[in-house]
Amino acid sequence: MKKTLKLGVVAALLASGATAALAEGTITTVVKISGIPWFDRMETGVELFAEQNPEMSISQVGPASADSAQQLQIVQDLVAKGTDALAVVPMDPAILEGIFKRAMDRGTIIVTHEADNQMNTMVDVEAFDNAEYGAALNARLAECMGGEGKWTTFVGSLGSRTHMQWVGAGEENAKQHAGMELVDPNNESFDDANGTYEKAKEILRKHPDIKGFQTSAGNDVLGVGRAIEEAGLAGKVCLVGTGLPNPSAAYLDSGAITAIGFWDPQKAGMAMNAVAKMLLEGKELTDGMDLGVEGYNSVTLKDGPGEGKLLIGNGMVLADKDTYKDYLF
Amino acid sequence: MRKLDGRLVILSVLVLVLLGAGGLVSGGTYLSLFNLQSMATQVPEIGLLAIGVMLAMCAGNGGIDLSGIALANLAGVASGVVVTQFVSATEAPWLFTLAFAAGALVVGALGGLLNGIIIARLGITPILCTLGTQMLFTGLAVVVSDGRSVTIGSPDPMYELGNGVILGVPYSFLIFLAVALVLGAVLRFTPFGMRLMLTGANSKAADFSGFPKKTIFTVTYTLSGLLAGLSGVIIAARNVNVKWDYGTSYLLIAILIAVMAGVRPEGGYGRIVCVVLSAVVLQLLSSLLNFIGLSNFVRDFAWGALLLGFLAVGRFGLIESLAAAVTSARSPRASKG
Repeated sequence: MKKTLKLGVVAALLASGATAALAEGTITTVVKISGIPWFDRMETGVELFAEQNPEMSISQVGPASADSAQQLQIVQDLVAKGTDALAVVPMDPAILEGIFKRAMDRGTIIVTHEADNQMNTMVDVEAFDNAEYGAALNARLAECMGGEGKWTTFVGSLGSRTHMQWVGAGEENAKQHAGMELVDPNNESFDDANGTYEKAKEILRKHPDIKGFQTSAGNDVLGVGRAIEEAGLAGKVCLVGTGLPNPSAAYLDSGAITAIGFWDPQKAGMAMNAVAKMLLEGKELTDGMDLGVEGYNSVTLKDGPGEGKLLIGNGMVLADKDTYKDYLF
Repeated sequence: MRKLDGRLVILSVLVLVLLGAGGLVSGGTYLSLFNLQSMATQVPEIGLLAIGVMLAMCAGNGGIDLSGIALANLAGVASGVVVTQFVSATEAPWLFTLAFAAGALVVGALGGLLNGIIIARLGITPILCTLGTQMLFTGLAVVVSDGRSVTIGSPDPMYELGNGVILGVPYSFLIFLAVALVLGAVLRFTPFGMRLMLTGANSKAADFSGFPKKTIFTVTYTLSGLLAGLSGVIIAARNVNVKWDYGTSYLLIAILIAVMAGVRPEGGYGRIVCVVLSAVVLQLLSSLLNFIGLSNFVRDFAWGALLLGFLAVGRFGLIESLAAAVTSARSPRASKG
């Protein structure tokens, strides 16, 4: 115990020495994969945060291919380089556990996002509470359906924890409306728009009187939206699900998609960096605090699965035909 | 005197150049003991796979092993699932580590043996066979682990294996060097090594000389599988967890390392020392780019440029002719000897 303490002190001294050498500290954001719209949008947030904190050295990097081994390598090199704080969106939380532990032992600050099962992290930032999000999607669906009729749900896969949480919360919410009847729930889409399209067509044939779809994976709205549009049911059948504004734009305009839900990676990137900066400055995180980022003005702080904290914002966005243009990415 | 190996010279020079450049741009951090150790722990898992690819290539017959990383993952996953059920990592850390390592090596060797049998006995082209077994191994790993990551845990011996150092050198790197040394000796000094290379150089001549070709192929691919198993052990030791989809990019990087090391894709030539240096060069380069903070697409570009450069150098024998020019300028008669 004493030895660890001593080591800790040495590490802290070393870390503070490094901080002094590098002006006001470096925060590097490591994303799952670079060059895709979602993380390009996140980079705009990281750049914005860098502008607001010119004395710090802030940047975003990510592997060129979707491989957890590549991300691991980047994280390991950044730790060896002596980066003060890392804000990581893990490709696979399990693979990064080892390096995160060693990094924190060495005095590096670790903040994660989209990894509420990460054991070795100081703070994991989540955009919203999964149950609240699922309920909000369903509330929007129920509003469109007028609180009655048949509806069904899509998930990326039955093994996808968040998706199952979303539809589960949706089903709970639907119980408020006696007229809503769930049929053939939890269709697996595998995040494939074409497969989802075929499946949605089947469902439309099997249940000609179906009134609503709640979907989970990012491409589901595209597949179901296409099926609804081709069946000439745009505006008659309601579709609410997770999706991105740019790809969904055409279907939102035609009315095939009622509304899409998502969180803004730009704000998530800023929130991660804001948390990392506070930890660098040695500030305490508190329940209900304001990170100074839209959607993270009153955050919930919980104990994480490991020794770290779980920080949950209210960064959920529901956009429809009239509002999606505010979030073009 | 042995002919000067141009490839070895360039790779050694590149190592020095990259170390120097890294030291310059990072203000010394790149050359810090911590970073050198950090880079050294990253090399073995991919380096071992590259040696496996090299062995397969050297055997000729269009030899290649695409199943390396898939087999490494399967070895870690399967051994992890089985061993964690019977041995407790906290109560018997040494037994656990040894059992896990042994299990992974056995799975690796069996997978390699399967490749060898399919290629040698059934006469299937290696690229097709290993493509198939790659999918088979990945699929098995998914089924065995339910598609989730498997936690191996980090009991002391396991942690030391992945991250510990002795005299400042990481254990995993030492293991990698030891394996390279042994295999290098096997290729150079044993009848098996000579037959392997000769079979690769001229398959027909090997037939007429009565070489046991089937045995040679089987042993070669089994060795490659064994290396994948060892790679799986090191991956598990480094990362605490193993998963079926770890390192999907390693497949091509391992081939890149082998080709950069001058291993002849048609078979018959390849030097382990060059593969080791080639793996080190790639590591130094990618860590350097990470230090500078350049986009990872630049890294792919740099690798591609490096590979093309090496191919050009090999094709035109630049270093050899340069060396010959230098020596002949010094002592005109030396070139005749």
